[in-house]
Amino acid sequence: MKPKIGFFDFTSCEGCQLEVLNFEGELVELLKLVDIVNFREAMTEKSDDYDIAFIDGAITTEAGISRIKKIRKQAAVLIAMGTCACLGGINCLKNFRTMEENLKIVYGDAAHYYDTIPARPVDAVVPVDYYLPGCPMNKDEFITLVKALLLNKKARLPNYPVCVECKLAGNVCVFEKGETCLGPVTRAGCKAICVTSGRHCWGCRGLVNDPNIDSEKEILQKHGLTTADILERFRHFNGYLEVSK
Amino acid sequence: MTEKVLSKQNLNIFINTLLSRGEEIVGVKKKEGKYAFGKIADAEEVCLDYDITLLPPSMYLLPQREALLKFNIAERPVASPVIEANPFILFGVHPYDIKAIELLDTAFSTDNLDTNYLSRREAATIIGVDCLNPNPNAFCPSMDTAFTDKGYDLLLTDIGDSYVIAIGSERGQALLKGCPDTQEATQVELKRKEEERQKALGQYKVALDTPLEKLPQLLDKSWNSSLWEERSEACLSCGSCVMVCPTCFCFDVQDDIELDLVEGERYRQKDACMLVDFAAVAGGGNFRDDKTSRYRHRMYRKGKYIMERFGKPGCVGCGRCASACLAEIASPAETFNLMRGESK
Amino acid sequence: MTKNLSEGKSLYLPRVAEITSIETIAQKEKLFEFKFQDSKELGHKPGQFVEISIFGIGEMPISISSSPTKKGAFELAVRAVGDVTNALHRLSKGATVGIRGPFGNGFPVDEFTGKDLLFIAGGIGLFPLRSLINYVVDNRKNFGRLIILSGSKTADERMLVNELERWQVMEDVELLETVDIGNEKWGGTIGPVTTLFSQIEIIPQNTFAVTVGPPVMYKFVIGECQKKGIPDERILMSLERRMKCGVGKCGHCQINGVYVCQEGPVFSYARIKKDKLTEAL
Repeated sequence: MKPKIGFFDFTSCEGCQLEVLNFEGELVELLKLVDIVNFREAMTEKSDDYDIAFIDGAITTEAGISRIKKIRKQAAVLIAMGTCACLGGINCLKNFRTMEENLKIVYGDAAHYYDTIPARPVDAVVPVDYYLPGCPMNKDEFITLVKALLLNKKARLPNYPVCVECKLAGNVCVFEKGETCLGPVTRAGCKAICVTSGRHCWGCRGLVNDPNIDSEKEILQKHGLTTADILERFRHFNGYLEVSK
Repeated sequence: MTEKVLSKQNLNIFINTLLSRGEEIVGVKKKEGKYAFGKIADAEEVCLDYDITLLPPSMYLLPQREALLKFNIAERPVASPVIEANPFILFGVHPYDIKAIELLDTAFSTDNLDTNYLSRREAATIIGVDCLNPNPNAFCPSMDTAFTDKGYDLLLTDIGDSYVIAIGSERGQALLKGCPDTQEATQVELKRKEEERQKALGQYKVALDTPLEKLPQLLDKSWNSSLWEERSEACLSCGSCVMVCPTCFCFDVQDDIELDLVEGERYRQKDACMLVDFAAVAGGGNFRDDKTSRYRHRMYRKGKYIMERFGKPGCVGCGRCASACLAEIASPAETFNLMRGESK
Repeated sequence: MTKNLSEGKSLYLPRVAEITSIETIAQKEKLFEFKFQDSKELGHKPGQFVEISIFGIGEMPISISSSPTKKGAFELAVRAVGDVTNALHRLSKGATVGIRGPFGNGFPVDEFTGKDLLFIAGGIGLFPLRSLINYVVDNRKNFGRLIILSGSKTADERMLVNELERWQVMEDVELLETVDIGNEKWGGTIGPVTTLFSQIEIIPQNTFAVTVGPPVMYKFVIGECQKKGIPDERILMSLERRMKCGVGKCGHCQINGVYVCQEGPVFSYARIKKDKLTEAL
């Protein structure tokens, strides 16, 4: 029996689902192992009989709360896919304003038609079995997780910072180039893709289990960021976490 | 063996001759104002006056990730060893990195022969070059790694318009036979080599206060020092120090399987004691679960454990870790000097 | 580098072994018997371990539970705690696994000749000790007294019950048991395994103590052994670490400068003190 998989979107750009469609060759291989029964972005048929639910997006409405609870009831395994689902992500920027303000900015006079609550990651509402962080989520991690589920093996995310993969990639450190970076406290698994492409780490994969935030802040300050700059940097993807408050 | 001399221009011709013969050459190239080892396509790319590379050349002998076994679990699981080793030339290796490779040679051939490493090592021809332009964080003279008289097939020293070439092995000698423009080095040229080396020694900015052979004793007394906690307070557990280290050779082993869930490989990949989960065990529990104990363990490996186990220093003083550490706590020399200050 | 160094076999290729029987010990523990496909012996000493492979899942160090006196097959008692052990628990008789080893120093059984032996097991520490106990039982005349102190969390979590009962009825084996938490089914001693020390009399100059159990237990057991007057050289223990490669390369099992997979897992308390193995206990 092939396990049945469903993809469900909440508040997000749906880019993580697009990533799945971008798998190409691997998608064909994957479909030999699983049945996709619910995937709004890719197919019209949909079924509520699924074993594994991939959640794309943060929870930002009351309706979202009841919907995710329903999905949790059905799914034997629930996976938060992408930064929005894992961490709340960029959606949490709105949490630093009142909901009334947000509605007014976005919908103006039509504000009263809409329901909005502070953005939160999926695990703030229901238990999550596995996480695939990243903006967008990482294809290799997705495939590794599916294989692990099929083999009855625990999939684990790296518990070391991006610096590990960045050094192994042979990159010149962002700080040495006179810029700043959240790599030293951000969970690896992305192969330091942003630094390798000439940018810096924004922390989209969330923090490692026991980050040395004090040390990171000190280093950022030494390299020219103000306390406000640092807060803004963390809020970009990690607004739901204590570090951004 | 007598030493040879080759003009810089002729060295380039030599490199290009090797390349045209189909030799794979891994050498030092510029990278965003720094230097990195990489595959050489033309002699013009090769830098021999670099201070230090971002990553050590030992990664070409002990790759960041390397398959150990291939397996197939279709019916009855079957596995076969994978040992990959293609001949190549590691070009422009500094003496401290040569000494680091010698440590790996010892570590991977002591007690149990690691054929994966040893095969690749045997396939490598090492052409060293003296480091005349040391990295500001380096302390090679203190670690006895500023120069070396072994561990290479050929060793170059820049004496201005040409290189003095020391021959370290028959393989090196044979390689040089393909280079018709070498001359016997004259006394004058050998004297210039010595002068260049002396000049380089004067450029090191960091030095160890303790004689190298006394390091284990120093550390023997320092286990309970409060400095370990103070020093490691800012540690990010980011692994930068150990990822760039030429003498770190610890690894993790994992299985990876294809999407058919039938064919796969067991591989090893770089792992290191500064990472949080390094000493964690399956049943839960972590034997070094705080940054202080991890930091101390690394320093003891660098200054004591490796030396006692393999008879060679666990640190070659290259300074890569100190350059890579944002918290500015990674330099073994600095740490050992603080310990020495405290123990006085 | 000389050429012959690279011509050996891969250190990492396991031998194929077949599961020839499986016995359930407790909820999360099973005893597996293996035979090598080439019918060769494992050739181990009590206290050594093997690396067991389930391809696609991984490899894991497991101490050997059978005595070398058992010929033609060997046994591993395994608690399902991680990926590999859980995968092993899902296998049936007839399935094959990979085995590397035996690795490690094992117990110094030759030094035990003629001596009284005091074994102290905590929980599944009984699994590696079973190898040594049965070795002694099978060579009974070579050794003095055999005293086994075994502690379990509860009566329901007693491991290898059949084996305990077999040893219990042997005339020349003194087996004492305790449980941390008693219940109506348990009529015996209640308390940590150290409680049992007050119930035994030994001649310390003639005794070797061997303890295997959870790390927290060791300090207390060592203290009791010392109180009994057993010299530190004869207080032996098996230390569990993450022995990933088993061949002294990967670095995971290090205690200070010592590679447990090579120089351990068996250490005397004297060695731990002499070599300043501060990370050991």
